[in-house]
Amino acid sequence: MSVAADLATGAASQPDPAGPSLIVEQLTTSIRIERQWFDAVRDVSFEVHPRETLALVGESGCGKSLTALSVMGLLPEGVGRISSGRITVDGTDMTAASAAEAQAMRGDRIGMIFQEPMTSLNPVLPVGFQIAESLVEHRGMSRRQARQRALALMELVRIPAAAQRLDAYAHQFSGGMRQRVMIAIALACSPKVLIADEPTTALDVTIQAQVLALLADLQRREGLAVLLITHNLGVVAAVADRVIVMYGGDVVESAPVSEFFARPTHPYSEALLAAMPRVDRSADALAPIPGQVPTLPDLPPGCRFQSRCPLRIDRCAELPPLIPLAAAPAHGVRCWVRAP
Amino acid sequence: MNESLSGAPLLAVRGLTKTFKERRGWPIPKTVAVRALDGVSFDVARSEALGIVGESGCGKSTVARACLRLITPDAGSVRFDGIDVAAASAAALRALRRRLQIVFQDPASALDPRQRISDALGESIKVHGIASGNDVTAAVLRLLDEVGLPPSAARRYPHEFSGGQRQRIGIARALALGPDLVFADEPVSALDVSVQAQILVLLDELRHRRELAFVFISHDLGVVRHFCQRVAVMYLGRIVEEGPVPAIFEEPLHPYTRLLKSSSPIPDPAQAVALDLQEGEPPSPVDPPSGCHFHPRCPFVMERCKVTAPELKEVAPGRRVACYLFSDASGNGAGAVAARQ
Repeated sequence: MSVAADLATGAASQPDPAGPSLIVEQLTTSIRIERQWFDAVRDVSFEVHPRETLALVGESGCGKSLTALSVMGLLPEGVGRISSGRITVDGTDMTAASAAEAQAMRGDRIGMIFQEPMTSLNPVLPVGFQIAESLVEHRGMSRRQARQRALALMELVRIPAAAQRLDAYAHQFSGGMRQRVMIAIALACSPKVLIADEPTTALDVTIQAQVLALLADLQRREGLAVLLITHNLGVVAAVADRVIVMYGGDVVESAPVSEFFARPTHPYSEALLAAMPRVDRSADALAPIPGQVPTLPDLPPGCRFQSRCPLRIDRCAELPPLIPLAAAPAHGVRCWVRAP
Repeated sequence: MNESLSGAPLLAVRGLTKTFKERRGWPIPKTVAVRALDGVSFDVARSEALGIVGESGCGKSTVARACLRLITPDAGSVRFDGIDVAAASAAALRALRRRLQIVFQDPASALDPRQRISDALGESIKVHGIASGNDVTAAVLRLLDEVGLPPSAARRYPHEFSGGQRQRIGIARALALGPDLVFADEPVSALDVSVQAQILVLLDELRHRRELAFVFISHDLGVVRHFCQRVAVMYLGRIVEEGPVPAIFEEPLHPYTRLLKSSSPIPDPAQAVALDLQEGEPPSPVDPPSGCHFHPRCPFVMERCKVTAPELKEVAPGRRVACYLFSDASGNGAGAVAARQ
C-alpha cells in the first residue's frame, strides 16, 4: 500500500486527544501597496491535527504563501501585517507573542521548508553546520552533540553516505538531496507543525515522488501536523487529508480530499480541475479559465472570482459566506449559486 | 521509421552528439566532459507536434539548441526540409531561421525590458525584409491579434504584462517570420494552471491554422499528452523510447517511461501517484553509468544492461524502445514487465 493511503487511514483511525497542533482563526493579513493597505488574506480559519496534512491550494497571488508567512510570523515588516485573527501553534498564541517568543517558536515548534532549497541554504556553510545550528540555538546543545544529532537527521532523511557529507556544501548536492537537507533542518528540533511551501515544485517528478514519500513517512513517525502549500492538485490528491482552495485571498472551498475530488463544487475549483492536462487521460479539450487573476487593488468587491466566473449572478457583488453543504457538513463552499 | 512520415520529414535529426567540456573543482580545476547528447535521432513531420520529455539534465534543451545551430554539435546531422542545417552558409542559415523559430520558458528574460513590444515584434520583420514602413505596424497588429492581445499592447513594455501575456508576446515573435517549425522549450512551465491552459489552447489553434510543426520540450507528461501527437523520452542524453502519444501513455514500455508515468501526480485520490520510498537519484551526466544509463535505477536490470547500451529498435509500427526486455524477437519483454507489476 502506498504511504499516502496508509497515512490517510492512520489519521482517521487515531484521532489525537491533544487536539489540533495548529489553529488559525479568522486570519486577515494585509499588505501595503503604495501607502494603502489591502487585505491579501481574508478571514481564513482552519485547524491541523497531528499526523494530518492540510493542503492550501491556489494560483499565484491567492494568498496561500502569505498565510504560511503569517503563521510563521515572518511577514516583512512595514509591508505586511496581520490585521485581525488569531494563530495558535501547539497551545501558544503566535499573534500575541513578542518578537523574541516568536523567534523561540520558529525552528523549534514550527519547521518550514521552502520551494527553492538552493536559495534557502547558506552556500558558504557546511550543511551539517546548518542542521546543527537550531539545536545549539533552541536546545542549548554543545557543538559536538548537535553534530551527532545532525548526522542522525541526515540519515533520517535518507541522504546516502551521510557521515562523509556532513561537511559538504549545498552546491555539492542535487536538487532532491538539497530538499532533504532542508527537511532535516526543519525537523531538527522535532517540531509539532511543519509548513511546506511548494516543497517539490522545483524538483523532477521522480524525485518529487521520493520527497513526498519521505515527508509522509516522517510525518507518521514524528506525529507532525503538516500545512502543505501547493498549486498542484495531483500532489494534493497524493498526500493531503483535507484541502482548502483559495482565490484572491478568500477560502472558496474546504473539504476532505476524497470529498473534494468527488464533488468539486465552487466554480473556481471546478475550473482549475478542468484546466489541468492529465497524464491519465487522452486529450479532452482543455477548458482554460478566461482572463487572469486581478491584481490586489483591482479585485472586485464581493466574490472575488466573479470577474471570471461563468455562473455570475447579481448577488455576487456581495461576498457569500463559506457554507457547509447539506449533504456533507465537512465540505464548505463560498458561492451563492452552488451553496445557496 | 513512421508511417505518418512516408513523405520526407520536415525535420530529420540523425545521430546528434554533443559533449560540453567544463572546468570544475577548487583549488585545482579539472576538465570534465558532460555528454549532453549521445546519438539522438528523430523525425518531425509537417504540422506535427513532437514532445520531448525527460528530467533536468537529460539534454532536451540541448536538442533544440543543436537543431537551431545555436550550438555546434560534435557529430550527427540535422536536415530541415532537405537542407543540411550544419553545413548551411550564413545566407542560407538566415533563410532557414525564418522557418525555424523558438519559444523560451521564461518570456521575461527572453524579451528586452527596454524595447517596446512593437519593436520586439517588428525588428525581425524589418531585418528579414518581410515588410517595411507602415506595413510593419500592420504586421505587428496582426500578430498581436493572432495571439489574443489588444492593439494597445504594441506601445507597451514587457514589464507591463503578466506572465501569460508575455508568453503570448514570445509566441507572436516566433510567428513573426512565418515559420514552419517552432521549438517550444518548456513554454508553459512557468505559468499558473489556468493560464497554462490558455497558452496550450492558443498553440493548438496556431498549429492547425498555420500548419505549424512543433518540437515541444517539457518535463510535464500531462501537458505533452495533451498537446503532442508523438513523444520521445530522453534519459541522460539518449532517447530511450519514442512513439505515438496515446499508445506511449497508455502502455509505456521502457522502465524509465513507466517510472515517469507512475510518478506524475494525478488529481484523483483513487489513483494517486505511487509513493514508495524507492531510492535512486538520477545519475549525473558528467559520469553516466555504463551500458544502459538507467540500469542502476531499473527494477528489471540484467547483466548485459550494465555492459552495453541497448539500441533504439522498432517494436511495433512507429514505436521504438531502447531496452533489452523488448529487443528480442520473441517479444516476451512486455509479458515480463507485466508479470513484475
